[in-house]
Amino acid sequence: MITVRITPGDRVLTFDRLNTVLQLLNKLGLGMTDALVARDGVLLTPDRKLRRGDELTVRVVVSRG
Amino acid sequence: MKCSRCRDLAEIALPSHHAGFCRPCFLEYFSRQVEKAVRHHRMFGRGDRILVALSGGKDSLALFRELRHQGYDATGLFVDLAIPGSSDAARAVVEGFCASLGAPLLVADMAAEGLPIPLVKAKVKRPICSVCGKVKRHYFNRTALEHGFTVLATGHNLDDEVGRLFSNVLRWDAAYLSDTGPVLPAESGFARKVKPLCRLTEYETAAYCFFRDIPHHVAACPYSGGASFTVRKQLMNGLEKESPGSKQAFYEGFLERARHAFAALEQEKGQVLAPCVECGCPTSAELCGVCRLRRQVGEGGQG
Ligand code: SF4
Ligand SMILES: [Zn+2]
Ligand SMILES: [Zn+2]
Repeated sequence: MITVRITPGDRVLTFDRLNTVLQLLNKLGLGMTDALVARDGVLLTPDRKLRRGDELTVRVVVSRG
Repeated sequence: MKCSRCRDLAEIALPSHHAGFCRPCFLEYFSRQVEKAVRHHRMFGRGDRILVALSGGKDSLALFRELRHQGYDATGLFVDLAIPGSSDAARAVVEGFCASLGAPLLVADMAAEGLPIPLVKAKVKRPICSVCGKVKRHYFNRTALEHGFTVLATGHNLDDEVGRLFSNVLRWDAAYLSDTGPVLPAESGFARKVKPLCRLTEYETAAYCFFRDIPHHVAACPYSGGASFTVRKQLMNGLEKESPGSKQAFYEGFLERARHAFAALEQEKGQVLAPCVECGCPTSAELCGVCRLRRQVGEGGQG
């Protein structure tokens, strides 16, 4: 299982199967440059593979206006 | 993905530039983009005293951090709007951040000026954000002039600029189009205004804040409509996805090939400005808009 914390808003979602960061962004309806995806304080590019047990943070960057 | 510069593992992909960067190379890239904007648009030099408007949001903090990092003489300015639940939080972020950089900070306090925004909102019928924006711009400019700063810098990024340009084009708003751009030259009574992040996107600024550990989340203003993807932004982002680089091209193309036409148009029917009798800021009336507003809001004082 992969745990994803989404900010702002602090929602937590879990996913059973996710292979890449790109898949995660697609599932969340986000484009490649709409959010920063981090694992252990390091940013992950969309091609990076995810692993079972990963805890990720997604910081949505698009602001109002 | 590998870093386009050093072949290390990339932390960030930038489709608009067909590039990816590791952390140190991205920070280098970010600095270069700021340098390029400053140089290309002749924003300021080493001799200038720069006042940076800090809202507490990520963009202005990132700009301030980077200008200090590049060794510029930059001072922060926070306009405390006295909005419950947001101004105090924003002020704490800004004060903490400036202290951590050992950087000077000026604060313009709207409660002390008789213009706390909640009171303004109660007394004025116009949409509060347009009035509030006017008050902020007034104090940015006034503080810059009163304290002898030669340049006033704001954290507007490429997405802000493209969004504004796009909506002004849709309305063919000649007055706004004439002063769209990363530099507004100093005029009598107005400090020069610059936007050194105009080559960097919201995404790039956010990544910079992540890498630099800049605080990124401040309580939103209760009067804002809340975060939303606007249709305009979706359109521009869709276009950017289809053809990477189109935002930048749209913006730079306007600056190079169209802006002067609108500027000429505005110059023809330009108004004559004279100093406000009360505060000295330039205005087309006797009393400037903000001084009129202060009277309207009334006895307010420490309100
Ligand atoms: S959202 Fe709040 S702070 Fe921003 S312009 Fe509107 S009233 Fe002012
Ligand atoms: Zn690198
Ligand atoms: Zn005035």
